[in-house]
Amino acid sequence: MNLPLPPLSRGTRAMAAVTLLAPALLACGGAPSGPDPAGGSPAEDPGGDDHGAVEGARELDEPALGLTTVDPGGRVRHLDLLSEDTTDLARLPGTGAASTVHTDGRFLYVQGREGLQILDSGVWTWDHVDHFHYYRAEPREVGAVPGGSTSTVATTTSSTSGGAGVFFTDSGEAAMLDVASLADGETAERYRLETEPHDGMLVPVGDHALLTRAGAGPGSERSTADRVVVLDAGGEPVPGAEHACRRASGTIATRVGTVVGCADGALLATVTDGEVEVVRIPVPQGGRARGAAPATSFAGRDGRPTVAGLAGPRGRDGVWLLDTREQAWRLLDVSVPLTQVTAVDDEDEHVLGLTPDGRVVVIDGTDGRLLARTRPLAARSMASGTGTPTLVVDQQRAYLSAPAERRVHEIDFADGGRISRTFPTATVPALLAGTGR
Amino acid sequence: MRAATRPPGALAVVLLLAASTTACSQTGEDRPTVVVSTNILGDVVEEVVGPEAEVVTLMPADADPHSFEVSAREAARMRAADLVVSNGLGLEEGLQRQLDAAELDGAPGFVAGEAVDVLDYADGDAAGTPDPHFWTDPGRMVDVVEALAPVLAGIEGVDAAVVEDRAERYVEALDDVASEMAASFASIPDERRALVTNHHVFGYLAERYDFEVVGAVIPGGTTLASPSVSDLAGLVSAIEDTGVRAVFAESSSPDRLVQALADEADVEVDVVPLFSESLSGPGGGAEDYLTMLRANTARITGGLT
Repeated sequence: MNLPLPPLSRGTRAMAAVTLLAPALLACGGAPSGPDPAGGSPAEDPGGDDHGAVEGARELDEPALGLTTVDPGGRVRHLDLLSEDTTDLARLPGTGAASTVHTDGRFLYVQGREGLQILDSGVWTWDHVDHFHYYRAEPREVGAVPGGSTSTVATTTSSTSGGAGVFFTDSGEAAMLDVASLADGETAERYRLETEPHDGMLVPVGDHALLTRAGAGPGSERSTADRVVVLDAGGEPVPGAEHACRRASGTIATRVGTVVGCADGALLATVTDGEVEVVRIPVPQGGRARGAAPATSFAGRDGRPTVAGLAGPRGRDGVWLLDTREQAWRLLDVSVPLTQVTAVDDEDEHVLGLTPDGRVVVIDGTDGRLLARTRPLAARSMASGTGTPTLVVDQQRAYLSAPAERRVHEIDFADGGRISRTFPTATVPALLAGTGR
Repeated sequence: MRAATRPPGALAVVLLLAASTTACSQTGEDRPTVVVSTNILGDVVEEVVGPEAEVVTLMPADADPHSFEVSAREAARMRAADLVVSNGLGLEEGLQRQLDAAELDGAPGFVAGEAVDVLDYADGDAAGTPDPHFWTDPGRMVDVVEALAPVLAGIEGVDAAVVEDRAERYVEALDDVASEMAASFASIPDERRALVTNHHVFGYLAERYDFEVVGAVIPGGTTLASPSVSDLAGLVSAIEDTGVRAVFAESSSPDRLVQALADEADVEVDVVPLFSESLSGPGGGAEDYLTMLRANTARITGGLT
């Protein structure tokens, strides 16, 4: 490939995954291999070390749905939505509040001023497309990933295998973490690259990845990406696999494929027979969609094919729905300003939004009609800019954190936006992530 | 030994594995080894091959065939096996890489799913893709045994006559269970031959015994903490449309579900779990394949009559 790319310099951490094999080889005498989460070995696992199942994890009849919060002091707490118990998960090291949290439904990637901290919530769901399996193991701190003070994390629909891409936007360092190693309590990196600092991302797609490249052509902005290159399993660019993607922003993995947002649409990457295929889903240009701002972030129910994003600041131009299965965009005309939006992708095509005055609105995803709105649940948080009020959606319930109010609300969106439960929190739940999903 | 035929490029890791296997293995038997992925097939293979081979079943009791993984030692054992029996049709996701590796290493394989008439999933996101859960139909398992028996009989060191005789007897046992199931299900009124369920594995059973599978959202614990009529609407209409008195579901709080249906929708049903993808441990009620079939039959008939 003959491209004016800065060289991708490579780290040495790729070897870590290989050396991890060693302890497993020695474990033939009956002692558990690998780090054993205390108390996590299920009583009904008859084989001990020798039989796989999922080591140290117990299978459940239904998902161990939880919410994990991070407070301004770095305390991480887990709220079990079934038992309603709260447990302390960790106290993040270092000073300074965490700025963002990302989750794949199991691992929490918490960005602080001094780097990224990874925690294992110990609860997750395995999506088999035709059905799901649910697991619980001991939660634990996994470790730190150095590289910068702001990051974008991209994960897959699997929280037991594959990679997790971390792009440090301030330093331009990008690391592909080995997710199986995270499950073992280690932060092994498959590779690490040094790129131009920009608002970029490293997005795992099967064993491959998509990496954004900073704008280099005349007239392009260097702080944002203008294209995406496909990397192979070793982090090397696949020759010829480059796709224009102006102002790349926002990524999400659905059970169909992996989305990267661009100024004029989205790229959808899938893996077939070990090869990455990238298709472009252009935003519609006609009718109401003419001139509408593109979506710059995407949210939806874990793994579901349809995801939502705001069209412009406060949803000025409406709400975009991207159906990754149909490879089609739909622009909803929504009558209220929104600061956040997410798609339930249920039979009734519910879409949920958060208004600037801290209400949750329930939107009909077929026509943008407002079906219900709650009372202001996070008004004080929104007005004072305390924490990041966050919406998390499940099949039948949604959750909203209200940091300043020290509450997490559970909303029955199909029943007129009824508040079905409210959970007070001991401290300010500045960041929220849904786990067990 | 098979190790001698491994390609030289297979690296030191493989050699280390082989060494550790040898060092740890205490069996020291001369019998051929048959490695089987799922515990349901493991039971069937043991019934057919009997004492003629050592049967190693990789999947533990009460586990998930899709996601169970094996240790390095088991993977090595698989590669050195005289036969590797798997379900196929995409079932063993967590194991596929090792299955492929064993095949590459020259371990002979038998894929049970290739011996049956495969159904596709009827609906949902997986619609149109092959349904790997053929074992819910004992007739399909007869097809598997009839294809498998000659393969087992052909393993060097196995007495073919013994295996052929055992296979014949096991097919008779499967035929008996199939007839028992037909007789039991015959007592269910035609208008109630529906499985309202969140289990996804009963497509083959439904096809053979003429049930309708009605998929339904079974509200989970977070929903049941404070349920509303709308939460139960889908399930209630499935129950009312079919007229059934039992829902076959895995639920961590079946009593709460029964209560919510009674309180919110005035619907009286039982919530009955079935054995779906794994044999149970001792005392679990599905210790072997035939027992599993009989247990499910009794629960289905009991729930619908």
